[in-house]
Amino acid sequence: MSESSAPAVEFRSVHKNFGQVHAVDGLDLTIGRGETVALLGPNGAGKTTTANLLLGLLRPTSGRVAVLGAAPGESIAAGRVGAMLQDGGLMPGVSVAALAGLARDLYPRPRALSDLLAEADLTPIADRRVDRLSGGQAQRLRFAMAIAGDPDLLVLDEPTTAMDVEARQSFWAYVRGYAARGTTVLFATHYLAEADENADRIVVVAGGRVLIDGTPAVIKAAAGQQRVRFTLGDGDLAGLDRLPGVTAVDLRGPSVTLRTTDAEATVRALFLGRDRVPDIEVHGVDLEDAFLALTR
Amino acid sequence: MFTLLRLEIRRMLTDTRFLILMLAMPIAMYLLFSTIFENTPPVDGMPEAVRDMISMAAFGAIGAALMATAPRIAQERTNGWLRQLRIMPVSGRQVITAKVLAAMAWGLPAIVLVDLTAVIAHGVRLPAWQWLAIGGLLWLGTAPFAALGTFLGYLTGGDSAFGVTYGIYLFLAALGGLWMPVRILPSALQHVAVTLPSNRFAELGWRIAGGGSPSGLGAVVLAGWLVVFVALAGLFYRRSNALR
Repeated sequence: MSESSAPAVEFRSVHKNFGQVHAVDGLDLTIGRGETVALLGPNGAGKTTTANLLLGLLRPTSGRVAVLGAAPGESIAAGRVGAMLQDGGLMPGVSVAALAGLARDLYPRPRALSDLLAEADLTPIADRRVDRLSGGQAQRLRFAMAIAGDPDLLVLDEPTTAMDVEARQSFWAYVRGYAARGTTVLFATHYLAEADENADRIVVVAGGRVLIDGTPAVIKAAAGQQRVRFTLGDGDLAGLDRLPGVTAVDLRGPSVTLRTTDAEATVRALFLGRDRVPDIEVHGVDLEDAFLALTR
Repeated sequence: MFTLLRLEIRRMLTDTRFLILMLAMPIAMYLLFSTIFENTPPVDGMPEAVRDMISMAAFGAIGAALMATAPRIAQERTNGWLRQLRIMPVSGRQVITAKVLAAMAWGLPAIVLVDLTAVIAHGVRLPAWQWLAIGGLLWLGTAPFAALGTFLGYLTGGDSAFGVTYGIYLFLAALGGLWMPVRILPSALQHVAVTLPSNRFAELGWRIAGGGSPSGLGAVVLAGWLVVFVALAGLFYRRSNALR
């Protein structure tokens, strides 16, 4: 396969053991050029190990990892990958602009310094010493360094961990802005909303393997479903569990929640069987629920 | 790569501990020693003001080479900067080379400032070739200490690096005859002194200032330490960066 048509990321039955611990346990994953993919999973799911395998910081126990059609180390050395590590640091004692400038100097096709600083909203603090940055500012500088070389693949390992809600939202705006250029982006997160809002594909991992892989909508559907809620009043519970699509019936106070794989059919049947269905609501399951259902 | 070297050099300017200990201390100690021993008769053809100048220039250069490497490397191993560099298009060899060159670059002002102080405070005058030979040899001779600092940076942790390195630094200075001449040390310690890189390092300058040429044995001892420290630095660097 030629280099330019090779997938951005390819894991083939990758295992990574630390002693008795199977951190990555038979991972198969292909990410095409231009995709924005979230690696979603709870702590200990193997996300960081996966990112480190991808960046050549770890060697797989078995299996094959390829990045942009080459070994991870080769693609890094060629300056085609930019990354924010979870445990990556900054050089103390220099300014924001100096460190962004260093990153530019290391990559073969650097972007303009003014663009980098502007894109990560660092222009107002360009002269500030790196050791005097807030957590959010430091992450933005790491982001600027990651995109300094106009990489074909951008890897972000839980980039918003140290940020407050506001900083997190603006950070993702920078990332989306950058992804819109056509760069492949892979980010690891355990924030479900981040995956939902910022990825066009979500790969749920748990126990070091892919649990489910698809668009945010597919993930939600796979986790089951939608919820139909209404007030039961003095009506009868009997038969609700036999309505089309219903997988679970949950009675809480006066209200009943039906979990269903086909909300439309369930609601239609509900109305056929009853005179009144007061306070009826239909919800899609949010990703949080989907995630909990999937990794349970 | 050039930007990395430039930043490595420039950032030391923001490190006050480094500037005080490596640049100001040797000057202060030079003024102290050279004044106390001002009336000592010349030994080996060298007035005390010249001997002390070389001792303290060597002291400063060793300090700069050690302190620009060991605590830095240990700190950056802890804070993740060295890890960040590993995922950028720069090799580990280039990263270490930049550190060693930056450490040696800081040896230069350490040497020159003490020399200037000697010229100003004690009117020390030497022929131009002696100034150049002393400065040049002392500068090149910092290489083993930069290698030692690199080794200590990978051996120690972020918290202990400065203390361990400073202890070794003072040991090398005291026993190497930088603070007081080796000949007034107890005889058992004199045998230790001549095996130390610090002693053989300063000896390069003492010999030139005394009108002689560097000792062949001294150069061999210094080169031997360089080989040992480079090997240890390489070993611990690889251990720290081994792909698991």
